[in-house]
Amino acid sequence: MKGDLESMDESGPRQAEEAALLGVIERMAGDLALAEEPARFIAALEAGRPSGGDDPE
Amino acid sequence: MTDWTLEGLAAAIRAGKISPVEATRDCLARIDRLDGGLRAFIAVDQAGALETARRLEAEQGRGAWRGPLHGVPLAFKDLCFIRGLPTSCGTRTAEYFLAEGDCTVVARLAAAGAVTLGKLNMSELAMGPFGDNAHHGHARNPWRTGHCPGGSSSGSAVAVAAGLALGAVGSDTGGSIRLPAAACGIVGLKPTYGRVSRAGAMPLSWSNDHVGPMARTVRDCALLLQVMAGPDALDATASPAPVPDYVAALDGRVAGLRVGVVENYFFQGIDAEMEAGVRRAADVIAQLGARVSELQVPDPRTMSDVTNIVSRSEASTIHARLLRERPHELQPVVRARLELGMHIPAYDYLQALRLRARLTRGFIAQVFAEVDVLVAPVIPEPAPPLAHATLGPVHELVARQGRFSRLTRPFNGLGLPALSVPCGFSSTGLPLAFQIVGRPFDEATVLRLGDAYQHATDWHLQRPPLS
Repeated sequence: MKGDLESMDESGPRQAEEAALLGVIERMAGDLALAEEPARFIAALEAGRPSGGDDPE
Repeated sequence: MTDWTLEGLAAAIRAGKISPVEATRDCLARIDRLDGGLRAFIAVDQAGALETARRLEAEQGRGAWRGPLHGVPLAFKDLCFIRGLPTSCGTRTAEYFLAEGDCTVVARLAAAGAVTLGKLNMSELAMGPFGDNAHHGHARNPWRTGHCPGGSSSGSAVAVAAGLALGAVGSDTGGSIRLPAAACGIVGLKPTYGRVSRAGAMPLSWSNDHVGPMARTVRDCALLLQVMAGPDALDATASPAPVPDYVAALDGRVAGLRVGVVENYFFQGIDAEMEAGVRRAADVIAQLGARVSELQVPDPRTMSDVTNIVSRSEASTIHARLLRERPHELQPVVRARLELGMHIPAYDYLQALRLRARLTRGFIAQVFAEVDVLVAPVIPEPAPPLAHATLGPVHELVARQGRFSRLTRPFNGLGLPALSVPCGFSSTGLPLAFQIVGRPFDEATVLRLGDAYQHATDWHLQRPPLS
């Protein structure tokens, strides 16, 4: 599919954007813990819920 | 009726001061008069709206009440599937999206008594922060019709700002509720990921999609959220957590609330009037008794990039058939964004999802140890001219879109509740806005602060200069 969709006049900027976007993976993903997994996002939200009783004074 | 809030209209209907049919006719007449220029609607369901209103009026005559929205006219972004109405999702194809049943939030609002006026304009496939749409006509900002309404829930914001509907539903994958709300001077809430079901709404990115309310006041958004929120067997990501009483939470008690004004990233390179407006809003919040401080948060650029990788990959996967079989039907900038998603390797997509989990955990632990809510700008400048959104080479348009949504996108990746609230006007008469961001599932505190701010200011009472 990639070849079919390639647009010659925009492929240069697209590749630059792609490289810039994926740079974050290069920089940040190297030291992810083996146990890290996508579902821990939901767990983080659930764990971060207000505990009740934390109303302002 | 154009000055009424949703809550005020609901109370007036209940008190017999205005009937559901009168309220619906009033909105339909205003749509008929103004929407040719504003293009907020893709489809107006005049017959269906009046039929529903008559039924509700008959029920009222028998003393039967559906719920808190009995007889209140609402409208829905054209990615909410509603039986009997086409769902184009802003594409050229009238019935692009089909679901097994009515969109859950629409069904819940209807069950609470809402009248459906029709389906609202949007950026094609919900991809585009400016709200332009070459297929259905560009929605227009009611404050200055040559300017963008913001997107992708463009019609939702325009309809509410122009008084064509008392409230609307939008969706937000990278800012698509908050951007148009900010550009059009209304209130928009992106709830916590999982707080509101997305069943029956066209997916763009199942990891980042949020459905939420849009209205003129924070209080009206709370009322809508009350009806919309909660578990749903049709959406596995909908949280089973109980729904608090959001309206009761609007008690004005913000004294002592710890409010952090985010100093890194969010004010960099933004328009001077926008920055001044947001900082004045923070001053008002301080005068209400909140403990306002400046705060640095973990670099939002990382989460923004991670969110982009995930959204692009999922959007390309979801809309692959359209992209493969009828790419010529897509606006060039939408096609380009989808094409990029096809080039992201599975490795990077999965690492992005793993990074998102770690970044979210770290952000919540670090930030909410120091403050209860964050305050930041929503859009980097007042709504730009429409020509700014639509002219230029595709790669420039893509970059421009990325810059305009850079202040909202990080909170989609983080999944946190974020409320856009109007906070003034530019020297050219365009709305300014700030966003309040809270802990996961703490919409109550976010709404409480927004409501207290609106009690202390009158920006939400201003009306666009429409004849």
